[in-house]
Amino acid sequence: MALDLDRSVTDDRVQIAVSGEVDLYTSPELRSAILEAVETADSEVVVDLAGVKYMDSSGVATLVEGLRSAHQHDKIFKLVAPSPQVTKVLELTRLDSVFEIEPTA
Amino acid sequence: MARSCDLRLSARSDPRLLGSIRSLVRGWVEAFGLAPDRTDEVVLAIDEACSNAIRHSYRGRCDRALELNLRTAGEFLEFEVCDHGQPCPPEHVSRRDLHTPTLADLKPGGLGVQLIYVVFDEVEFRPGKTRGNRVIMRLRRPERAEG
Repeated sequence: MALDLDRSVTDDRVQIAVSGEVDLYTSPELRSAILEAVETADSEVVVDLAGVKYMDSSGVATLVEGLRSAHQHDKIFKLVAPSPQVTKVLELTRLDSVFEIEPTA
Repeated sequence: MARSCDLRLSARSDPRLLGSIRSLVRGWVEAFGLAPDRTDEVVLAIDEACSNAIRHSYRGRCDRALELNLRTAGEFLEFEVCDHGQPCPPEHVSRRDLHTPTLADLKPGGLGVQLIYVVFDEVEFRPGKTRGNRVIMRLRRPERAEG
């Protein structure tokens, strides 16, 4: 199963809806999309994780990089609707408290 | 119950194969009646060990050999990931306390190694038999009640 990214822009926010599997093979594509969104969004980047079936630490590292970049650009970076598997990985890496997470979209 | 149920896989160090490796590991582990959330954790941690071999030992080269051994060993399920790449510096695979980090001290690298330590009951990072690296991960087999 590949990665599918659906990008939408509303007002001052860029949202990326991610579905599929994020691993060492697919995370570079997610990384490019997130960093591009941070550059172009007026104030807010939202990463919707509802459709993510699997995420490994390279996916988590990608989200951390997005958060860092957003802070540098003075923009808001939010995760929305993480699936149970994503929540588990964030908890295992103790990074669940680092992100702003909205449980539902 | 003493019958062995070992599985050996040779793969290229190609990230495109990680999905197939995860499916295989999941199928093997499920035969032992592990709880679903533990199965997810094991699949994740093995994926991390394979990804580390590709990224670090082979510096991202896709055409090298990766070997995976899944074994029953007494009260344990034993998983071994072997590569023939660059030896891994011991300080890169030492266990760290995973305290709750702040954004300032976040270092994304090394997350995979810490995940492996969190998931398994026993973890050994060893040099390969001739060269490269071996990661041996052991999980206590579930009590019958769990399956």
